[in-house]
Amino acid sequence: MTTHTPAIETAPSATRKEPSYLDVTKGFWSWAGTLDHKRIGIMYLVGVTAAFLCGGLLALLIRLHLWTPEGMLFENGVYNQVFTLHGVFMVFLFIIPAIPASIGNFVLPLMLGAPDVALPRLNLASFYLWLVGSILTVYSIITGAVDTGWTFYTPYSIETQTSVLSMGLAIFVLGFSSIFTGLNFIVTIHKMRARGQGWFKMPLFCWAIYATSVLQVLATPVLGVTVLLLAFEHIYNIGIFDPAYGGDPILFQHFFWFYSHPAVYIMILPAMGVISEVVSVHSRKPLFGYKLIAFSSISIAVISFLVWGHHMYTSGQSEFVMMAFSFLTMLVAIPTAIKVFSWVATIWGGSVALSAPMLYAISFIIIFTIGGLTGVFLGALSVDIHLHDTYFVVAHFHAVMMGSTALAFFAGIHHWWPKMFGVMYDERLAKISAVLILIGFNVTFLPQFKMGSLGMPRRYATYVEQFQIYHQVSTVGAMILGVGFALMLGYLLHSLVAGRRARANEWGGVTLDWHTPTPPNLYNFDDEPVMAGKLYDYTELDISPTGEATFKAHKSTATVGSKA
Amino acid sequence: MTLIAFQDPLGQLPTPASTFAEEVDPLFTFLTVISIFFFTLILVVLVYSAIRYRRRRPDQPPASQMTHNTTLEVVWTLIPTVILMVTFAWGLKGNLDQQIVPADARAYTVEAWKWAWAFHHPGDDPNNPQTAAEDLYCEIGVPVRITMTSRDVLHSLYIPAFRVKRDVVPGVRQILWFRPTELGTYDLFCAEYCGDGHSLMRRKVHVVDAETFAKKPWIDIPQTPEGRGEKWYTQAGCIACHSLTDQITVGPVFKGIWMRPGQLQSGESYVADADYIRNSIRNPASQLVAGRPNWVAGAMPQFTEAQLTDEQIDDLIAWMKTLK
Ligand code: HEC
Ligand SMILES: [Cu+2]
Ligand SMILES: [Cu+2]
Repeated sequence: MTTHTPAIETAPSATRKEPSYLDVTKGFWSWAGTLDHKRIGIMYLVGVTAAFLCGGLLALLIRLHLWTPEGMLFENGVYNQVFTLHGVFMVFLFIIPAIPASIGNFVLPLMLGAPDVALPRLNLASFYLWLVGSILTVYSIITGAVDTGWTFYTPYSIETQTSVLSMGLAIFVLGFSSIFTGLNFIVTIHKMRARGQGWFKMPLFCWAIYATSVLQVLATPVLGVTVLLLAFEHIYNIGIFDPAYGGDPILFQHFFWFYSHPAVYIMILPAMGVISEVVSVHSRKPLFGYKLIAFSSISIAVISFLVWGHHMYTSGQSEFVMMAFSFLTMLVAIPTAIKVFSWVATIWGGSVALSAPMLYAISFIIIFTIGGLTGVFLGALSVDIHLHDTYFVVAHFHAVMMGSTALAFFAGIHHWWPKMFGVMYDERLAKISAVLILIGFNVTFLPQFKMGSLGMPRRYATYVEQFQIYHQVSTVGAMILGVGFALMLGYLLHSLVAGRRARANEWGGVTLDWHTPTPPNLYNFDDEPVMAGKLYDYTELDISPTGEATFKAHKSTATVGSKA
Repeated sequence: MTLIAFQDPLGQLPTPASTFAEEVDPLFTFLTVISIFFFTLILVVLVYSAIRYRRRRPDQPPASQMTHNTTLEVVWTLIPTVILMVTFAWGLKGNLDQQIVPADARAYTVEAWKWAWAFHHPGDDPNNPQTAAEDLYCEIGVPVRITMTSRDVLHSLYIPAFRVKRDVVPGVRQILWFRPTELGTYDLFCAEYCGDGHSLMRRKVHVVDAETFAKKPWIDIPQTPEGRGEKWYTQAGCIACHSLTDQITVGPVFKGIWMRPGQLQSGESYVADADYIRNSIRNPASQLVAGRPNWVAGAMPQFTEAQLTDEQIDDLIAWMKTLK
């Protein structure tokens, strides 16, 4: 049992037993060929962030274009390509892999006290599939951008002349990347938990990742099959989805949403997991209603397979089917509400640090509540008929995907940044950007709820004048968001070269990830961790008056950080 | 004349103009009020606890270690459950009404294609494209039943003021009905993405009184061939792709098209005379114009005799001669 002392400000601590995973090996190939879950996580982090930036720039172009009713920037066809690319980048390249593949990859084995994921080679393969998928996506842009929307509804996607085929291939490949990650995590969670760590001693992030992985493995193949069928139809003119050959376009929608509704939870469940951890650590309190949260993750995963039809209320399904879908949709809202209440109850009575990660988490809770509540409007049959395919839907899913998943992703990045890189960013700037993003989000999307209720259809390159004022306010909001994200990128990158050295346990977390050296060793822990204590037991920590957190007794692991 | 009792007090919805608004608007308002209530509640408790319990000293312990409270958890599971079930039943009831078409409804047909609507009113021949109206007219208080078909891809007929929307699916007959309750002119949109001209599939719905309706205001065929040609230009949707200015939208501009020389993708040159124009409409794939990469087979839809008659093409040509 050693304590390590980061005596020198920049060099890794002399008393570490081993060099950190960042220092063990150097050079391009030590990264490109790495099997280390942490390095793979960091590579994913770089990749998904790049995708987010591209998607974000496209979003700004969309908003600028809509400044005037006739459209300011593009011809209609180009506008359609821009919003399609925005959707594809954000959904397939960013949001789906963002939290599981980057933060999950990095943190999950640490939380389980494991030296790596169960299948490191599969992990690397998953990353390269993601890369190939991304390159194919960019290739499709260059060879004639796709203009179908990210939903690829038939028969439009069969008839359009743009390169739907290579885009379909890209999504097929990305799907496998997602399946590989999911499979890997399931095995890891089953097989690699630390000694003494029963299922209910797993942090909630692990539960969330588990539920997500199950969804990824079960739902993604349906997407693959759908894309394949689409390709067959496109190439061989077999009638599957296109009525011109005797196919059924509605069948495509069933297939598509059978994947894409669970995909919504592939996006949001990991986000909920991140928020659970951040809220707990920064309130220094165990999560309120741990078991209920864990079970609600699982029940969300199960029910989410049975609600896809709520995307198709206007397509002419039978009344009975619609009734069933609407009912199940309402059910899925219950565990979601429980989670929100539990987070708030965790903060209540805590020792609440208004740190940067916590501000992101609080913004998440606020926007997620908006997203959840407006989801109920869309689940209600008669109201949805009016709101379907309007800006109300656009605003709703941006609240859930961008305002929630992306914000949780950033909360997680800010939370684990010191653990990942051993440095701290400028927290004052981080707080400013969190507030900018919260404001920017609401200025962008509240007007969209309003104009959607008033009947502004989505995917319109031009619109009736009545809606102009809402579009303009929304565009201003998008600019604020842009500034917030640019600022974030700036101070995060700056911290890598000039950030102060992070403390061993920067926020005072108690889950196993905070028992590793900072940054962790190649195989994470100095000694094999055993989880003897309780989960989320903050009394394990000694907090000095300056805020240095040290473990009192070494109940769960041999390695403990201490202050300089 | 006002038949509607309920007007959503928060002004979130367009002016109600059909009986469905009576179903949708109160539920929408109910949900809005509930949402504002819960949102405020959560926000207040969240912000209050973040400030009240904020960490003043780095080593401050939490004020409470409570991690579980069965009563609280049961309550906050049950309350949303009850509200959600009420919402479900209420929404279902409203939707059932939208499915059951009254027997006395007037029969209309609508055909949609890239990127236009053809509205056929009761009494005219749905198979004669010349009788297709550009706008939809209906009589106040009288239910309307629209049978909808699509020539090509998915579209969706959406009239926000009536709270109705229904996808128009190729190969399927979709039915939509409503009972207008307010005189006036309302927007009609295509709500399902259908390509470049999607946002141009905007038309008007006119709710008129019985007297005006009896005069069949939708039949308005100009006397001169040029006038008719201009009407077909909008009616058949050429307007979505062929502009009358120098600005290219999807296809070649119509400004100055008559006898304009050009080149085909096959390399041949042509002048846009009557035969050429007729052939461009009847069989566009046979003479693709060179010039832009997206002027490929399929971009210009083929119009058959049933969709655009020979006389209509004559009118169009007469009108094109006037476009300088
Ligand atoms: C979906 C878009 C679209 C619609 C709607 C459309 N066109 Fe076209 N049209 C095109 C495109 C693209 C071309 C050029 C490629 C080609 O020649 O097929 C074209 C070519 C033409 C040409 C030849 C022009 C030239 O300069 O050589 C004529 C004439 C024409 N269209 C007439 C019509 C008429 C009349 C209508 C309405 C009944 C119509 N089009 C509707 C897209 C459209
Ligand atoms: Cu869904
Ligand atoms: Cu459309």
